[in-house]
Amino acid sequence: MKKILVADDEMSIRLLYSEELKEEGYEVYMASNGREALEMVEKIPLDLVILDIKMPEMDGIEALRQIKQKRPDLPVILSTAYGEYRQDFATWASDEYLVKSSDLEDLKAVVRRHLQEPSEERPS
Amino acid sequence: MISERAAFMTQMVEVFTSTVSFGERLNNMVHLLARHLNLDLALYFGLDKARETLVLNISSEGPVAPQQRLEFALGTGLVGEAAVSRKYRVVHRYQPGVAEVNAVLEKLTPAYRTLAAFPVSDDNFLYGVLLLMDREDRPITPTERQNLQLVCLMLAGTLRQAIVQQDAKKRIAELSVLFEVGKALSSTVDLDELLERIVSTTAKVITARGAALDIIDSATGELRVSSRYGSIPRECPPFCLYPLETGGAGEPPHFEGHALNAEGHTHYFLAVPLTFKGRLRGTLTVYDKLVPGGQFASFDPENRQLLYTMAGVVVNAIENALTYQQVESLAEKNERMVRNLTTLQEISQVLLSTVQQDRLLEIVLQGLTLEQGLGFTRAIVFMVDEETQTLKGIKGARRVDEPFPSFQALLAPPPEPIVVTDWEIPIRPDQGPLALTVLRKQSFHYRGKEPGVPASLLEKYAPGEFFVVPLVVKDRATGVIVVDNEDSGRPLEAEPLHVLQMFANEAALVLENAHLYSTIEANNRELLLIRERMLESDRLAALSSLASGMAHEIRNPLVSIGGFARRIGKLVDVNSPLHGYVEVIQEEVSRLEKLLREILDFSGENLSYYGDYELSKLIEDTLILVQRDLDAGKIMVVKEFAPMPRLHCDDRQLKQVFYNLLQNSVQAMPHGGTLTIRTQQVERSDGLYEAVAFSDTGGGIPLEVLHNIFNPFFSTKDYGTGLGLAIAQRIVSRHYGQIEVNNEMGKGVTFIVTFPVAKYCLVKGTAKEAVPEGDSMTSSGGRR
Repeated sequence: MKKILVADDEMSIRLLYSEELKEEGYEVYMASNGREALEMVEKIPLDLVILDIKMPEMDGIEALRQIKQKRPDLPVILSTAYGEYRQDFATWASDEYLVKSSDLEDLKAVVRRHLQEPSEERPS
Repeated sequence: MISERAAFMTQMVEVFTSTVSFGERLNNMVHLLARHLNLDLALYFGLDKARETLVLNISSEGPVAPQQRLEFALGTGLVGEAAVSRKYRVVHRYQPGVAEVNAVLEKLTPAYRTLAAFPVSDDNFLYGVLLLMDREDRPITPTERQNLQLVCLMLAGTLRQAIVQQDAKKRIAELSVLFEVGKALSSTVDLDELLERIVSTTAKVITARGAALDIIDSATGELRVSSRYGSIPRECPPFCLYPLETGGAGEPPHFEGHALNAEGHTHYFLAVPLTFKGRLRGTLTVYDKLVPGGQFASFDPENRQLLYTMAGVVVNAIENALTYQQVESLAEKNERMVRNLTTLQEISQVLLSTVQQDRLLEIVLQGLTLEQGLGFTRAIVFMVDEETQTLKGIKGARRVDEPFPSFQALLAPPPEPIVVTDWEIPIRPDQGPLALTVLRKQSFHYRGKEPGVPASLLEKYAPGEFFVVPLVVKDRATGVIVVDNEDSGRPLEAEPLHVLQMFANEAALVLENAHLYSTIEANNRELLLIRERMLESDRLAALSSLASGMAHEIRNPLVSIGGFARRIGKLVDVNSPLHGYVEVIQEEVSRLEKLLREILDFSGENLSYYGDYELSKLIEDTLILVQRDLDAGKIMVVKEFAPMPRLHCDDRQLKQVFYNLLQNSVQAMPHGGTLTIRTQQVERSDGLYEAVAFSDTGGGIPLEVLHNIFNPFFSTKDYGTGLGLAIAQRIVSRHYGQIEVNNEMGKGVTFIVTFPVAKYCLVKGTAKEAVPEGDSMTSSGGRR
């Protein structure tokens, strides 16, 4: 079972994401800030990380940077309320950038795409 | 007998004391004598002026006809002897020698027998001889002799009286002439009028046909002024500067001569010198003395004396008039100078009343054309157009006829403008006086002779004579003023040219000031606009930040609400009424999310305006906006700008970048410091870049925050949105550039912004890989 970490300071978001992703058949871990997320990345052999950007203690950008240092292969999806920075954040080494939406189909599709067998070509 | 004698004497005394003319009296006396003595003939021979000859003047037979003219030299004949001896003589024809020596008398009385001659003289003078003739030999009785001697005394007395009276008359005449001259001279100090009076009076008193007065310049010896009256014969020298002859003994120096005209008539002239303080100042000349019968005659010594006397009188008057004229012209010059300076000062004051160029031009033109001003009839101001290198007509005016009551009239607009805005003259040496005035920065007095007024100008403006003066500011001609007296016909004098130049200097200065003022005003307006735009963009950024913040706060709960609603929807039976409620929640959440997206898209979206700009110019423009902050923060700015080609960019956005970086630097140095801004062109393997470095001396950024500085909403300050550097980076990356940070702890930070040169074509923030390098250079080559 693929392991996914959801890092968000909003408990309701964490809950919603984990419920939805569990339903999809993933094992979901949760962190409420970047520091916790980083700890879990170190402890657990995760397959994918969903990171919020604005979080206390350590924000998503810094967490992304450090995660990519530790595990460059680990796909990281930035999920944020800041839609207007999509273009800038795209250059920040995250694999995906998603604006949060109550419709989680996009998120699930992206997660699915990243967790497919490596033999399959990833669309650019 | 006694009574007869008494009667004769009484008659004689009556005649002697009568008021008839002297000639008549003498006549009467001679007649009376002849009758009383019962003589055939009584004659009076008068001694002529030369005192050499005794000429028959009076005869008891009536007027002496010319053919009866008789004369005796002194000592010849009885008459001559009596005159010399001054004693009476009585002779008879029979006496030897008598007939011979007195033969001429036979013309009058051929058969005379007795001759008696009585000298007519007083104690001093011999006036003549009284001769008595009779056809009989008769004696002269002692009584008769006494009577005759008495009569001779009376004759002498009468002649004496006549001479005295003639002298007196002459004196009076001379005095009255001098009085006339004096009157004429003292009645005016106007030189021309004075000279006219002198020559006319001179001609009249000398009874000459013409008179001339010539004054020479004592310095050069050249003829200075001259005045003519009456008719001056062409044959005579017009101006007598020849060495003056000295007349006879006791006669004043003079120049006298005559000339023959074509018809064979002789013309005479007489000139006397006018000397003042021993120096020759000119000559007074008379031509052709008029004598009765319309004849011309030469001038006599009396005329010379009179003319000389007059010369003495008039030379003083002329000197006075000359001096007066000099004083007057000096006074006039002074007055004009004072008036001009006053005018200039007044115009200057009025010029200070405004900085509007158009109003200033109006005042300048009024100053030039008003009677109270410089008083030219027309005036036009041309200004240099630096770009096209032409002189362009800016404004012109023509004098208004009615003079304004006061100088305050300068504040009124000129009523008759000349349209000059389509007048254009290239500034080249071959384009005539106006262009030359600009090129040489020298005023020019065009007199209608010099060639080169451009035809284009002559078509509109055909001046005979004009002044053109340059408007010079800081050794640079900014325009010219052209003035003339087209309508008045008053010639342009050299003197107002100086005043005009002074005026032009003043005008040039105020016009330049006005120009600078308007430029500053325009710059200020632009700066204000930029600042407002910047503030606007700052406000937008703040709004954007607020919106993002809110979005974050609102979006998370919305996502939760919407997300869980969807989950509930999946669990609830489709036919249950709950399903409908959940759908309402989902739809409403979707609507809110859409609304949020729109708001965020709006606040995040910036329209781009791309153009070619110099980075240094953009930096300079931005520096002005933070100048106050720099000053307040005691931050010194060092600029090291390298010359670089223009960059294709959105100037507003780049100014925003620089503004944010400058603000950052200012805030990094709260206790003052030095901000160094350097621009440089950098060549890298992948092409050319333009780089700007902002270095502060604010001690550097602590390491723990260094990696956060470009994060949105990250701020170490209590104020600000934390978006400054994030926005800067976003803009720079849109220009395919980079921001690098060079942090030196304890010293300061350097932000280096680099932009690729012409690598991409950027349209509205959308990047497309540019056309190949070579083509790109070609397409943008024109802008470099």
